[in-house]
Amino acid sequence: MSATPADRRASWFKGVLDLLVLASLTGGESYGYEIAKSLDAAGFGRIKGGTLYPVLNRLEEAELVAAEFRAAEKGPGRRYYTLTDAGRAVLKEQGAQWLAFDASVRELLAEGGVA
Amino acid sequence: MSGEDTGTAGGNGDGDGNGNGNGNGNGNNTAYLVELASALRASGLPDERIDATVADLATHLEQTGTDAVEEFGPVGEFAGQLAPPDGAGAAENPVETWRWTADTYADEALLNRFGAEGWEVERIDALGRFVSRRDTEQVQQWEYRRELVSLLGREGLDERLAPDGWEACGNWLVYAWFKRPVAVREGPAAELAAPPPRPAAPGFRAAFGRRFRWTLAVTAAVIVAVAVTVGVLEGDAASGLGFATGLLAGAAVPLALMAVASWRTERARARADSEAL
Repeated sequence: MSATPADRRASWFKGVLDLLVLASLTGGESYGYEIAKSLDAAGFGRIKGGTLYPVLNRLEEAELVAAEFRAAEKGPGRRYYTLTDAGRAVLKEQGAQWLAFDASVRELLAEGGVA
Repeated sequence: MSGEDTGTAGGNGDGDGNGNGNGNGNGNNTAYLVELASALRASGLPDERIDATVADLATHLEQTGTDAVEEFGPVGEFAGQLAPPDGAGAAENPVETWRWTADTYADEALLNRFGAEGWEVERIDALGRFVSRRDTEQVQQWEYRRELVSLLGREGLDERLAPDGWEACGNWLVYAWFKRPVAVREGPAAELAAPPPRPAAPGFRAAFGRRFRWTLAVTAAVIVAVAVTVGVLEGDAASGLGFATGLLAGAAVPLALMAVASWRTERARARADSEAL
């Protein structure tokens, strides 16, 4: 009946992954592997390609990120993603909504004795 | 759940089903709760839980003065949420799964063919089959490559391939397979509008190509020829047979050790993969 800790974490993560990807692009352009690495380094663990790329696709289709395929000096080349103005606006607006949600959760958990 | 899912509390009661807050939906609410209890019973929920749940909901409706259908939704759907069938977790896209096999002369071509139809290999099972899945609503294309690895280690292979989006998806003996979404190169263009029909599992000839069959035939012929030669030279057919048996047993031991080592590596990889998001 109740979700396992891993399921629960995965479902939280899916709800916020698009915002995390947008946030990871605020420092400049990046590509899939680098984005996954920065999320891993932030403590989310390894992100599978099957999870990350559909989100990048959706963000690109919604014009929140722009993508450009660039040939590499060696190797097959990569798609580089940059944040668009619309992406920056969505990040600001929905990021603030998330923080408000997070604050409510924290408040209630604190009332429930969760430090 | 069973056949009652479109039933609403309206339709046979005294009200017209749209009472909202004035208590004129009471008859409808009662019918709704009766129907809900029967749906929960059909789903196997214990009676005491059903009684407690229904009593709780009745109090809620009384206190809020709302109509049951408006508050909780259609009775069948609500019953499904209160008592989801075993294994039903958060609403995920439906996924197809499939296991199939191929030799190392045919595997890359078949993997890429099926990958282009949306099949993602998750792991390789103990029988050496590719365990594949396909999201039926958001169909991504996948591409594959195979690399040789030593049983002692992968010498940084995963780290070298990762920047280009390659992830390990299976090990078997001295082979390691890698996958990546075609979206790494093509972005949204790599997504399929709908999943193509499920392919038939590759037949024996497709899965085990001519080169594999020739290799097998030549190996068997060499073993037979050597056994016959030993038998003729020693004038004893039994020693030829013994030699062939020894040869096969001698080859089987390192192969079995390799299989065990590779199976352990694959199991560890698949476990780590299942923890990734």
